Amino acid sequence: MNVPVDPKTLVAEMSPVSTSEQIATMKKALLKNIQRSAYVYRVDCGGCNGCEIEIFSSITPVFDAERFGIKVVASPRHADILLFTGAVTRSMRMPALRAYEAAPDPKIVVSYGACGCTGGIFHDLYCVWGGTDNIVPVDVYIPGCPPTPAATIHGFAVALGLLEQKLKAETHVEAAGETAALPHPDIPYALRVRLEREARRMAGYRQGRDIAEEFMALLEGHAHTPGSFSLSERMLEAIGEERDPRRAEIIARLADVVQRAIRGEAPRGEAP
Amino acid sequence: MLKLLKEIFRTGEATVKYPFAPMPVCKDFRGKPEHKAEDCIACAACTVACPANAIQMETDTAAGSRTWSINYGRCVFCGRCEESCPTGAIRLSDDFELAVGSKADLTRKAVFTLADCACCGKPFAPAKEVDYVARLLSQSARSAEEADRLRLTAATCPACKRAQDVHHIAGMGIARQMEAGLSKTGKPAKELETTP
Ligand code: SF4
Ligand code: SF4
Ligand code: SF4
Repeated sequence: MNVPVDPKTLVAEMSPVSTSEQIATMKKALLKNIQRSAYVYRVDCGGCNGCEIEIFSSITPVFDAERFGIKVVASPRHADILLFTGAVTRSMRMPALRAYEAAPDPKIVVSYGACGCTGGIFHDLYCVWGGTDNIVPVDVYIPGCPPTPAATIHGFAVALGLLEQKLKAETHVEAAGETAALPHPDIPYALRVRLEREARRMAGYRQGRDIAEEFMALLEGHAHTPGSFSLSERMLEAIGEERDPRRAEIIARLADVVQRAIRGEAPRGEAP
Repeated sequence: MLKLLKEIFRTGEATVKYPFAPMPVCKDFRGKPEHKAEDCIACAACTVACPANAIQMETDTAAGSRTWSINYGRCVFCGRCEESCPTGAIRLSDDFELAVGSKADLTRKAVFTLADCACCGKPFAPAKEVDYVARLLSQSARSAEEADRLRLTAATCPACKRAQDVHHIAGMGIARQMEAGLSKTGKPAKELETTP
């Protein structure tokens, strides 16, 4: 008989470390006194090493974290700030806790990267704890996969109280009668889909969407203010004005899609 | 020594001014996914596409609401939400300053209301999505009558549509049912018109 097993009973639930009042006040004093001497120890709890690479690029001369006295040290016993990267794999839990215990109180814990914040892309893996805050109390979260060196510097500035955090929790509630606008209502739906599809096929979703939007703005502009040019003249002009040959090619193809639609032919590559 | 000094002057200062001056980022930088809830139709395409499950949807039929939420702490900045969004409501911005002190500030939510099925009256899809689809379909309708029919179709839940189709087919003569069956094996079904 296979009795359903509650997966919760199979894993040991270990409570995260908590800090006392006294340490919290000491931490406030530390933040005031730390000024320009923040020693950072980096604990890799099983990430992909992308985060480590970005940490090291933020201590290169270009970003130069040492301007703020941020130094990476080799032992947790010298550290004021502990930087946890990675999703905390099961086997890294004890070493991570040992590093945490070894650092002298008061200490600031920074959770680095999407993995450190919540487990990131590995959050539901069987072998991870899913985030630094599941094992130790965290003071600052720096999201990113990996955070860019500039984001790292910003995160440290937030941790040291130099900058305010920018993000705030927000909830949008749908207003009565709120509707999403139809994109380009003047262009037939079938034509719009063909244009978007062709542009995306040629340039990918980001640039493709941008080019398609520009092109459809051109079509709409023509419809609203026809002027003395015909549509094909106007499209040829747009192609001629384009400096980037790749974009010119894509716009030429979009113009071809429009011409075919006007002639009532099936789009290229599709049976009529 | 002079050579070294010369080299230093030639190189200039390599260090960026950030955070004392804004940091320029390149075009199409993948930063924080910016969600414009006004343009969102709560279709959940981004929820399905998100590889890290940073975007999640919760449907509460009792309260008649669907809550969209994003956790910036879990996002891996892949851009798949932007790729899949039909209305362009979500787009990766060039904002990278995401560090926070409390985890709650990493989430953003949007609450949408559910529409009731035009047939059975049970909530089945977000009202904004139903409205958007109805307008999109009636845009390409040939007549006002067809537009009305398409609008009604969009406002009907899948279960009711299925029931209607079965009813419709059962009402047909046996010969037409056979024809409809045949059409599956190659011939186009011209006669069988069910709800699109
Ligand atoms: S956050 Fe991203 S880059 Fe950093 S360790 Fe995790 S997967 Fe790697
Ligand atoms: S960028 Fe990728 S990980 Fe981030 S919310 Fe969009 S789909 Fe999810
Ligand atoms: S894909 Fe776009 S419209 Fe659909 S739920 Fe996501 S953000 Fe909203």
